[in-house]
Amino acid sequence: MQEAPVITPAALTAEYVNPLISATRDVFEMMLDCTPVRTGLRLKQSGETSDEVTAVIGISGRAKGTIVLGMSSEMACEILRRMVGTIAHSVTDEVCDAVGEVTNMIAGSAKSQLAKYELSISLPNVITGNGLQMHFPSNVSPMIVEFSSDLGPLSIEVGFTEI
Amino acid sequence: MKVLLVDDSGTMRSIQRRCLNKLGVEDVAEAEDGVQALQLFDAGAFDVVLTDWNMPNMDGLTLLQEIRRRNREIPIVMITTEAERSRVVQAIQFGVSDYLVKPFTPDGLREKLDKWMQVSRQ
Repeated sequence: MQEAPVITPAALTAEYVNPLISATRDVFEMMLDCTPVRTGLRLKQSGETSDEVTAVIGISGRAKGTIVLGMSSEMACEILRRMVGTIAHSVTDEVCDAVGEVTNMIAGSAKSQLAKYELSISLPNVITGNGLQMHFPSNVSPMIVEFSSDLGPLSIEVGFTEI
Repeated sequence: MKVLLVDDSGTMRSIQRRCLNKLGVEDVAEAEDGVQALQLFDAGAFDVVLTDWNMPNMDGLTLLQEIRRRNREIPIVMITTEAERSRVVQAIQFGVSDYLVKPFTPDGLREKLDKWMQVSRQ
């Protein structure tokens, strides 16, 4: 009987990127009537984020990871308006809820494309305020996928670690 | 027609409530988790239940089992990001009537809800 191949956190992170990109496109097209375009893919270097709204969701199962969405407050408000029609001029609880739900759908849709890892996702947390330092475990090589869209630029950080 | 709508996201409840209103369903009770939903279910006579899966306190799968212990007939539609075949099979085994995966298009949601509103009216 053959043993299952060992997959490194870096390889798993890379394997998660394509499902993440297609999930982001699906969620934006279906829920926000907007097609995001991927503009960049790079390894995350340390440093503060300039994003004003950050959504974090944990992934567990046969692998353990984190997905972090970052965007401007204007984009977050526009997400709420496109989803439910409510106009917000600042980041309210309703705006955070809408951003959290978009994050939940992106993470959920991406994980369903990697069924072999039997992944589960946590409930999303949304943080406001820029200048955040997102720290992944030291053995993780997180990647950043960047998108442009009608709503503004969006960045998604993803990193996996062994369990 | 009375619908119990269960989702921890107010955004998702808003989207579904608006769709139900467009289909002529005005009597909609909302719950943020399975515990709240079960309290409402025990207190009122509902025709259809729409529920998310991943929620705090009590998830949608546990809610599904609890409602099926009380009522084997009521249509229960799960609206969730859980799209893996194994999850769908699990929900079917526990008695879900139908399943809609998030994200969905407005038409996809309307068709699914319209189908179950019509079934329930018969």
